[in-house]
Amino acid sequence: MTPQKAFDQYHEAVYRFAYRLTGRPDLAEDITQECFLVLVRSPQRYDPARAGMKTFLFAIARNLALKEHRDYGGEQALDDADIPAATVPRESLEVSSAVAAAVAALPQLQREALILFEYEGVTIEEIAEIVAANVGTVKSRLHRARERLRRALAPYRNVGNTHGTV
Amino acid sequence: MEPFDKQEQELSDRELDALLPQWKVPSAPTHLRAAIFPEDTEPWWRRFWSTSVRVPVPVACCLALLLALGGWRWMVPGVGRVVMKTERVEVPVVKTEVVTRTVYRDRIVRAPRTARDFSALEPVAELRPRIIRSVHVQD
Repeated sequence: MTPQKAFDQYHEAVYRFAYRLTGRPDLAEDITQECFLVLVRSPQRYDPARAGMKTFLFAIARNLALKEHRDYGGEQALDDADIPAATVPRESLEVSSAVAAAVAALPQLQREALILFEYEGVTIEEIAEIVAANVGTVKSRLHRARERLRRALAPYRNVGNTHGTV
Repeated sequence: MEPFDKQEQELSDRELDALLPQWKVPSAPTHLRAAIFPEDTEPWWRRFWSTSVRVPVPVACCLALLLALGGWRWMVPGVGRVVMKTERVEVPVVKTEVVTRTVYRDRIVRAPRTARDFSALEPVAELRPRIIRSVHVQD
């Protein structure tokens, strides 16, 4: 697959992923650009036998976002299940912003697993390849992320066509 | 009371699944393609002036060295140039004498053929008789 074809097919997904991961459009743009420049400059780094193009690009985007997080992310923990829910969404916030804030408050490793699984439709096995972890670890991160979101977004129970509980 | 409190404090999976898709993000900017693949949008003559070629460092060093050496040889007169110089050199030559001698030998030569027709014999236009006096010697 040529870099141009890969760009046409996956640049939106990579940008969305980077945007949700970093919460910044300029950073998402940089990460997306860097992903495809890697493909243009050193196409030999992509091995179709190892993973699909989408997985390869997500892995690069994830590593760039992680580097950004480590360099400028401050002291937020990468994967700490014990930290309290970071945000208490206010009633006045729109649901979209509330979800964004709740996801942004997740630890980095939980956030990336959740975004890939919930928003990009990546399978758990592919996520495990992208984040270089085993499947059990990814499942655990997803479980903790969803648990945290269930608490953080509880005030928005009756917004967005959700009524009552099961 | 506790199950009720937990239900109040937490969403169910279905509720969470309904909430999560409501977070929309904008599309990727359109100028991304031009930033990544400038050759797709720029004309060839503009690319010609901005295209770079990646050369390994050892090769670049060798090229620079060769260029510098060539420049130095060109700048300094007489170094490495081919100069044409004419010199007189005595070369021993074996002299040989050419002698010309005349040699006669016999050979059969055929005489040229003469015409034997009567075309040259024509009657004269005016007859001029010439009397030649005869002399009788009286004994």
